[in-house]
Amino acid sequence: MRSLFAVFVLGSLALAGAPDGGRVADPRASERLEMVQRHLVSEGIRDPPTLEAMRSVPRHEFVPPSLASAAYQNRPLPIGLGQTISQPYIVAYQTEVIRPRPGMKVLEVGTGSGYQAAVLSAAGARVYTMEIFAELATSARARLERLGYRATVRHGDGNLGWPEEAHFDAIVVTAASSHIPPALVEQLRPGGRMVIPVGSMYGAQNLLQVEKDADGVVRTRILLPVAFVPMLSGLR
Amino acid sequence: MTGPGRRGLAPAVALLSASTTANEILLVRLFGVEQFHHFATMAIGVALLGVGASGSFGALFPVRDVEGAERRLRAAAAVTALALVASPWVAHQLKVEPTQLPFDRGQWLRLGVLVAVLAVPFLAGGVATLTAFLLAPERTGRLYGASFGGGALGVALALLMLFVLTPARSLVLPPLLAALAALVLGRSWVAVGAGVAAAVLFLGSSWEARLSPYKSLPQLSALPGAHRVAERFGPLGWVLAVESPSFHLAPGLSLSFRGPLPPQTALLVDGDLAGAATDLTDPAAARVAAALPVSLAHALAPRRRVLLLGVGDGLALGAALDADARWILTLEPNPDLLRLARELAPLRFWQAERVEDRTGNARGVLARERSAFDLVALGPSVGHGASVGGVRALQEDFLHTVDGYELFLRRLEPEGVLSVTTWISTPPRESVRTVLTVAAALRRLGHSPALRLIVVRNWGTVTVLVRSVAFSAGELARLRAWARERSLDVDWPPEEGSADVPFNVLDDASLRNAAAAASRSEQDVARFAEGYPFDVAPVDDARPYPHHFLRLTSLPALVRGAGGSWLPFAEWGPIALLATLVQTVAVAALLLLVPVLLRGRRGEWTAPRWVVLGYFGALGAAYMAAEIAAIQQLGLLAGHPVYAVAAVLVIFLAGSGAGSLWSDRVSPERGVRVCALLALLLVLAAFTLLPVVHLLVPAAPPVRTLAVLGCLAPLAFLMGMPFPLGLRRLVRDSGPLAWAWASNGFASVVAVPLSALLSLELGSQVLFLAAGAAYALAAVAAGVGGEGRRARAA
Repeated sequence: MRSLFAVFVLGSLALAGAPDGGRVADPRASERLEMVQRHLVSEGIRDPPTLEAMRSVPRHEFVPPSLASAAYQNRPLPIGLGQTISQPYIVAYQTEVIRPRPGMKVLEVGTGSGYQAAVLSAAGARVYTMEIFAELATSARARLERLGYRATVRHGDGNLGWPEEAHFDAIVVTAASSHIPPALVEQLRPGGRMVIPVGSMYGAQNLLQVEKDADGVVRTRILLPVAFVPMLSGLR
Repeated sequence: MTGPGRRGLAPAVALLSASTTANEILLVRLFGVEQFHHFATMAIGVALLGVGASGSFGALFPVRDVEGAERRLRAAAAVTALALVASPWVAHQLKVEPTQLPFDRGQWLRLGVLVAVLAVPFLAGGVATLTAFLLAPERTGRLYGASFGGGALGVALALLMLFVLTPARSLVLPPLLAALAALVLGRSWVAVGAGVAAAVLFLGSSWEARLSPYKSLPQLSALPGAHRVAERFGPLGWVLAVESPSFHLAPGLSLSFRGPLPPQTALLVDGDLAGAATDLTDPAAARVAAALPVSLAHALAPRRRVLLLGVGDGLALGAALDADARWILTLEPNPDLLRLARELAPLRFWQAERVEDRTGNARGVLARERSAFDLVALGPSVGHGASVGGVRALQEDFLHTVDGYELFLRRLEPEGVLSVTTWISTPPRESVRTVLTVAAALRRLGHSPALRLIVVRNWGTVTVLVRSVAFSAGELARLRAWARERSLDVDWPPEEGSADVPFNVLDDASLRNAAAAASRSEQDVARFAEGYPFDVAPVDDARPYPHHFLRLTSLPALVRGAGGSWLPFAEWGPIALLATLVQTVAVAALLLLVPVLLRGRRGEWTAPRWVVLGYFGALGAAYMAAEIAAIQQLGLLAGHPVYAVAAVLVIFLAGSGAGSLWSDRVSPERGVRVCALLALLLVLAAFTLLPVVHLLVPAAPPVRTLAVLGCLAPLAFLMGMPFPLGLRRLVRDSGPLAWAWASNGFASVVAVPLSALLSLELGSQVLFLAAGAAYALAAVAAGVGGEGRRARAA
């Protein structure tokens, strides 16, 4: 997953209460719960399945071991090949936008280490995820299998989507583009929703929500300005 | 002084000055490549800091006798040559990443070390020049003139070097020049060593620019299958073409478009995406072009004669070809970019015969070109992030000013259309200013914007169409139908009684409000702009920063709001400039003035210390302010900021060199008059230079060159005189000399970011006035100092 590092919300986000998280047996569970409360709930993430998924997925398993101690900070981290894992807030925000529900068929473009795919899977979605870097696709596939998340990983160019598995109820894109790839719009099911950062390959982008109504008419809404920040420290 | 040193004093000073000035120019270019262009100020600051710190060095370690001074001069020249090789190498090992400064404290330390390392050659060069003054106090004008003349030579050689080598490899030039200086002073082994080391390091295969990962090149290079297919060098930029099957560029592509995209090759300038070479012979190109906002104008009526400004994504040309335009003129300032776009995606002969490519600045070409067009199209900046993130805020741009739009409207046929497409930022800024600016240009031509303005928006871009004849109801209906088919929303004029749900929801009515205000009256525009949280008022050629929106007065509120976390989205450029100013004041005060205050009180003082400080400080600030104001105003005439910088630096340095030489024949008492005359001339320049520039834009290049020389050379000549005259009038020995040198350096360092900020906020005319005020202050200080000296003598 490419990193959407910083999300800067220009309006005030209402504080929201959150349901109690389930008990998790791993040693980093308390850190994760604190992260969810401090960086997600208090910043306005409200969707219960999204919050539950964020509470359950061990982010420290998706970052390099040397950076595991920073896994529950609200910041992106490098995962190699110049790519990063997004900060938890943006993962939760994008997940909330598509309103994941059990059985929903979701395409993710930009697998990275597999964290976003795991969150979607934990929320009950049937996940198809594409990664342009073969090495990342291979390692993410192994990681997701080891941790028991059901997601189909494919090495390929996300601009073209996944026509064999189309159509999708939702599409989550984590790599910026100068335009909304036509193939992805095509592969969105009527009534479906896509969330995509559009703009430069570096610097600032706008995070867009793209909806296709029952008649196939496509509409967009600008959600937030966001920025890619490839991290340099740590692995370099 | 005796021996070979004295004979070679002036040539050695000139060569050292050439080496350090060339280094400064090349560092500016290298910072532009490795980081972003607003780091150029940092390179200039580093240079001036080093020069200023040499004054502190002189105060802390005064020379005791002539032999000591000779030894110091030779050593300083040798250190300059060696440091010009070592400092770039050390700087590269530091791996500074300025974008990580907010997150990584260690980066601050690295940045500090980087500044110190890069300043060393300038410090050593400054020590050499300062020592030369001590060795030949009766020839300060000659030496100061040699220093200026060498600087002009350094600028010219650095620019020539950029034609044949990349900015990183061009760093071979400064150490070679400094090695020549060392050779002149008798340090042959050092000269040979530095020359060989420079050639091995900078021309070796392992030496190349280390780009910030935020730049497009590292991102593009990481794509599978990405490879470089072409490379060009030039002073206007390092141009690269990168191919990757995953690269596509179609800003503003309609949501309703289905199908493949044509093959494209990324074109980069200084590591940033600057356009694409698009294969317009591929059938997909025409289909994609018809789904882009640039095709709006073609949808209204056939456009036979089309002017495209910039290479862009290449698809605007496809749209014009597909719309059966007969003559399509593309104007692009960077010749390498235009050439590569055509070489990598050749047109079919029936396409090529309708296309004319010209290299040049659009304002200049159109001022001379009397042809009229049916369409003038300005596309969105290719790098959306640069636009939205405010990276371009400090860039002078004469295309998007009221004067620029006015010229484009004048070059249109009666029903011709000006089409301007910009990205949507959050909150809207660039698009809002575009609407207000086209309205201001229309009013200048005596037309009301009502019924002459159309604003169309999609998911990410806004296109403004404007012309001098009102759009008819039929045209509007046609345009609405075209827009609807492509999922575009016509924001202005609003459709009476329409209950359509917009295709692209924007939870902000600013754009529509701006269009409404623009259509009503100038007063409404002023009221709207005043009440907007960002500066969106139209700008003109006196303040050509149409991509600067941040009000510095609102910075405290921005920092407080949301913990300042969204500040980076407000604008990087001016924030970086402000931060540079604050750091510069602190660092310069510490490094330059404290040592002088501690140790520099010794010596024979012929004038009060505050007079020396005020006089030489005012000279430093005035010189930089006048230079920066001239660079900004001549940008329009030179056609590109790089040419403007080169022309102004060469004229100022060469002219000031001649003035310094001449000053040896002038009584030091005349310094007051020279400063007063300069103050008057700069006030005059504030009110007359820009109108002269406007008059000269259509003139032939030789006329323009002569006129610029005629305007600036006398000014530069006079500006070279006050410093050596002041040294002779106010300074007797090394203690006060160190004070003078340090205060001049301190003021120069601080003046660079301060002048850039003044120009950004208030315009170049105010900057000229500020320079005039500083010379007036110097005149007063010189007058007071002279009175004091006479009183003491009596």
